[in-house]
Amino acid sequence: MSAATNSSRQPAEAAEAFAGWLHHLGETVAPASIGADADSASGWIAAERQQAAERVRAQRVPTGKSEGWRYTGLRSLIDQGFVQIDEPLTALTPDDLEEVLVPGLDAHRAVLVNGRYSASLSDLGALPSGVRVGSLSGMLESDPDALRGLLTRLADEASHLFATLNTAAMQDGLVLLLERGALLERPIEIIHLSVGMEEPRVAQPRHLISLGDGARAQVIERYVSLGDALYCTNSVLEIALGRDALLKHARVQQESANAFHITSLYLSQDANSRYAGVNIGLGGIWARTDLVTRFSGEHADCDLRGLYLAGDKQLIDYHMDVRHGLPNCSSRERFKGILYGKGRAVFDGLVHVARDAQKTDAAMSNRNLILSANAEVDTKPQLEIYADDVKCSHGTTVGQIEPEALFYLRSRGISASLARRMLCLGFAGEIIDALDSEALRDYVTEQVGERLERAPLD
Amino acid sequence: MLSVKGLKANVGDKEILRGLDLEVAPGEVHAIMGPNGSGKSTFAHVLSGREGYEVTAGSAKLDGTDLFELEPEERARLGLFLAFQYPVELPGVNNMYFLKAALNAIRKSRGEDELDAVSFMRLMKEKLKVLHLDDSLLKRPVNFGFSGGEKKRNEIFQMAMLEPKLAILDETDSGLDIDALRIVADGVNALRSPERSMIVVTHYQRLLDYIEPDRVHVLAKGQMIRSGGKELALELEEKGYGWIVDGEAA
Repeated sequence: MSAATNSSRQPAEAAEAFAGWLHHLGETVAPASIGADADSASGWIAAERQQAAERVRAQRVPTGKSEGWRYTGLRSLIDQGFVQIDEPLTALTPDDLEEVLVPGLDAHRAVLVNGRYSASLSDLGALPSGVRVGSLSGMLESDPDALRGLLTRLADEASHLFATLNTAAMQDGLVLLLERGALLERPIEIIHLSVGMEEPRVAQPRHLISLGDGARAQVIERYVSLGDALYCTNSVLEIALGRDALLKHARVQQESANAFHITSLYLSQDANSRYAGVNIGLGGIWARTDLVTRFSGEHADCDLRGLYLAGDKQLIDYHMDVRHGLPNCSSRERFKGILYGKGRAVFDGLVHVARDAQKTDAAMSNRNLILSANAEVDTKPQLEIYADDVKCSHGTTVGQIEPEALFYLRSRGISASLARRMLCLGFAGEIIDALDSEALRDYVTEQVGERLERAPLD
Repeated sequence: MLSVKGLKANVGDKEILRGLDLEVAPGEVHAIMGPNGSGKSTFAHVLSGREGYEVTAGSAKLDGTDLFELEPEERARLGLFLAFQYPVELPGVNNMYFLKAALNAIRKSRGEDELDAVSFMRLMKEKLKVLHLDDSLLKRPVNFGFSGGEKKRNEIFQMAMLEPKLAILDETDSGLDIDALRIVADGVNALRSPERSMIVVTHYQRLLDYIEPDRVHVLAKGQMIRSGGKELALELEEKGYGWIVDGEAA
């Protein structure tokens, strides 16, 4: 693929500035609200956070040469000087939520504002037995043992800088726990709402989803903003799936054009579990998502799909790290991107198959449609295979709209701009169709269509 | 209806059309025949506005409007329709959505209201029946995974939906077996009317057994070298193109 531009490389002084910023954050957040008292029942998390803060301070800051950050410049993030604010924002009413809702979506609704759970905006309705939904800080106070062995356990082994920072600085987040055999038939929608503050602030929410053996759930996460707020979200989501558990997980990132977004998602799958994730990345000026999968039992299946649109000034970056350490598991990563204006995207996917992971079935693909001469995508699918009896494939394409197809539509009276939009939506449709909820499919199609309608044609 | 005068067109540096004339009156069906490489498809593409062709001389007017001044979609809205020799597959673009967008764009340009969902469905079902096409086709992506026959029938189905003034059928018979050919021809014949003209571009006389033309033209080396009634097609079938083309060259 095309080489990284020089501007995306990390100059030494930027690394230094970043280190300063990080250390500042690391210092200031360590004694924050949750799990502060080492002697309390949640003392273990206080210890975890202290250690993470130390790791942040000791961490080597990524540079342009660091693997995983080669195409993702940190300069613009550092320059904002984001600060963390621990005050919760309480002034919103359910009316404020109206403009970001998905019409016709029937779901249990949990709402977080600037990274904090809002009971007054949430509308959980009646939850089936064996299902718990609540705020992280609340649960750490009321029932910390329910989180022990889960929270920070999944992220740790492969955590990168921002995840470590999140562990040190986490304030609140959403917890969804399903007991063994519990069924959440109606989807739960988690709205991550961000509202601008006077100074550019960073929220570092920490979320946890745990499905016991045989449990099933459908989760729709949406990252939205009110207005064109400038802020940063550095979130970590840990997901643990027990044996035979099934999670359908839609993630729609449609934040403001000024938002910086970081998500590190750590997924752990036990035997026979199934995970089907659909990632839609539309918003933000700088958005980085890391999807990390580990298998702890055989015959588990992980399906990761994604659609990203990057327009002018936007950087959208997906990193994937799927490790097959055990035999007989399968994984598919299928991402599609549409780039326009001066949009940039990064797809960096790694599937690692260990020597003992025989009968692994893994397929990774990344296809991109580039609508302008100035857009860029850096795509790097990688397979590292150490087992000899596996079925693995990967492929990547970067192309443009077919002139033949465009002419065909225009010859039927359809304008060039609508024809382009129809072809782009046709390209994206395969991913959008993987969303389970019809209301969400319609909504995402509309969101994508609107962005394409505003997109410059060259 | 259509008036083409002294049309010359290039592909790259190569002149393909070398002074082509054609007059088509309302309601008439004209067949354009000719050997491979004579410029038949180029003529169809130039009229419909496909990129990659340069018109160097001459004019083409549809009801007095200069086609070469218009974008492809504007020509379609004016009532020009091209049934493609190789219909393009559009994975992910739903056939029904596509037809609705096309029909509404054309209706809008005529100052008509968009069709409501019920009338649109009714219209589609009615036209599908004529082409012996199944309803399920509407839910599929445009031409994607269609058999050769389905693709050609889908072209004529679109023509039935869009009700053009002038339809150009570019080698619609190619790749069709005799049953499919009959269905396509029936569909085309059902659309014949005193207001609608058609240009049937074909290599073989076979199609003209089913779609009876008013006029037959022979295109060779970028020019119409012979025009006549439908009996000309039979003569070509019998003797091949050689006698005309060589005669012209001599």
